[in-house]
Amino acid sequence: MSALLRAELLKLRTTRTFIALTAAALGLSLLLITLIALLQDDWVEQDVRELFTGDFTGLFILLLGVTGMAGEWRHRTITSTVLAAPNRLRLLAAKTIAYAVAGAVISLLVTLAIMAVGTTILSVRDLPTLGIADLTDGLWRNLVVSAFLGAFGVCIGGLVRSQIAAIVGLLLLTFAIEPTLLAVAPHIGQFGPTSGAPNGVLELEAFGDDTDILSPAVALLVLLGWLGLVFAGAATLLQRRDLV
Amino acid sequence: MAAVEIRALHKRFGKVEAVKDLSFDVEAGRVTGFLGPNGAGKSTTLRALLGLVRPTSGTATFGGQRYDELEHPSSQVGAVLEDASFHPGRTGRNHLRVLAAAGEHPVSRVDEVLDAVGLNDAADRRVKGYSMGMRQRLAIAAALLGDPGVLVLDEPTNGLDPPGISWMRGILREQAAQGRAVLVSSHLLAEVAQSVDDVVIIAKGELRGRGTLAEVLGGDDGPATEVRSRDPEKLAHALESRGLRVERDGDVLLVPGATPEQVGEIAAEEQVAVLGLAPRMRSLEAAFFALTEETT
Ligand SMILES: Nc1ncnc2c1ncn2[C@@H]1O[C@H](COP(=O)(O)OP(=O)(O)OP(=O)(O)O)[C@@H](O)[C@H]1O
Ligand SMILES: [Mg+2]
Repeated sequence: MSALLRAELLKLRTTRTFIALTAAALGLSLLLITLIALLQDDWVEQDVRELFTGDFTGLFILLLGVTGMAGEWRHRTITSTVLAAPNRLRLLAAKTIAYAVAGAVISLLVTLAIMAVGTTILSVRDLPTLGIADLTDGLWRNLVVSAFLGAFGVCIGGLVRSQIAAIVGLLLLTFAIEPTLLAVAPHIGQFGPTSGAPNGVLELEAFGDDTDILSPAVALLVLLGWLGLVFAGAATLLQRRDLV
Repeated sequence: MAAVEIRALHKRFGKVEAVKDLSFDVEAGRVTGFLGPNGAGKSTTLRALLGLVRPTSGTATFGGQRYDELEHPSSQVGAVLEDASFHPGRTGRNHLRVLAAAGEHPVSRVDEVLDAVGLNDAADRRVKGYSMGMRQRLAIAAALLGDPGVLVLDEPTNGLDPPGISWMRGILREQAAQGRAVLVSSHLLAEVAQSVDDVVIIAKGELRGRGTLAEVLGGDDGPATEVRSRDPEKLAHALESRGLRVERDGDVLLVPGATPEQVGEIAAEEQVAVLGLAPRMRSLEAAFFALTEETT
């Protein structure tokens, strides 16, 4: 298992996708944070907290996970991968863990960078900033959600196989379906895997209304439930499938 | 116990019966050619053996163990599949490093196999810039990484130029000479005839023949050999005096029922210079066609 995990992490490091997505996430998040910190004038502490958690990194991590798995079919490397790891359940587990680790690493880089830049700008502008305890709290929440999204992406890639279909589906879920549900039926939307439940872990209030947001502990369980569901689905499909 | 054992293997894809009740063995130290026309079921059989395709019934094992039951698959079996694919953005060396990590092979093996296939200079280039021959070399390198006792290759000469084909044949012979079992598929008899010890012939998913090349394809009167020599009369006489039948065709003698080895040795005893010596390929092809023809 640890050998497979090492192999998957090495795979990640030996193509440009990982570097490119990390750079994109970092660049976009820094740009956003800089603009908001410079331009917005009314700040309370909760705004600062949300500034450091509500960025786009999650989307990039989700895409990284999807391409990590669906890409095996796209590039027809799945046979070579399965030959090296004929126990497909362990293979999927190793990949899922590897992308959870990758998600957490990207999030660590991005979060530390935006916290440093954001805090600097805000303190120069004499606006409220967060203490080290609050920053640490925000950091681990980001890491947890990012690890989930990396793992979730892998399993979705395993379920859908077509990289394009998986990406389009996830973009729809993230930008159309979940936001709509959160707006019209928040009691359902709060359980969503890409915004609803992550918001609960991050303690982000959707649309400023805190009635329909899961508590962090419940949200975490919901995320684990989602992961179990998609992992079981992907594992079943992968084990049944003839690789021809 | 044979290195590879296929037992009553059956595979159906929907309505297509790709492999029907197939059984054969592959022995260590020999190159076994797995021959059949397009669509015969060669790839399906090899993929079932490698745990990529689930048999509908029957088994395909390495000395009784399924591929996915092997303790260290890449140290026991090396595989090269049809149009081997690599991530285009990864370098050849990194591809091998990933496989070495997964199979827990020392990193030093990566350099060794790159050396063995002559891919050192291109190892740090991305695979998307590789030629067909370079990809095939990389696939062989990957198969050799764990120094396995069994090699399984599906049409490894596809897309290779003549020097590439000859290089591949050399690798197969060398691996068998070192005691490994080599199972190699092809739809072209001529391509493997010179490098295999045994053949397994299938068509329409069914076994049509197995044994040594001469046994299977020698036709009713066994193997036949064509020999060209400096003194055909003397050689013909010598062959006939040993009870062999000889058909004369100018300088060329055709000796039904004799292998090239037998004819060569007789010529050596008689000190007749041999200019050319070959199994009768035309009859091989004809026998191959006859065996794989649509009979059912
Ligand atoms: N995934 C699949 N679904 C349906 N039919 C399949 C599938 N894979 C193979 N077949 C069918 O099974 C039969 C055997 O195919 P296979 O690829 O094993 O032949 P082959 O001997 O390797 O041929 P070739 O020399 O062309 O590579 C063919 O009729 C093929 O159409
Ligand atoms: Mg084939």
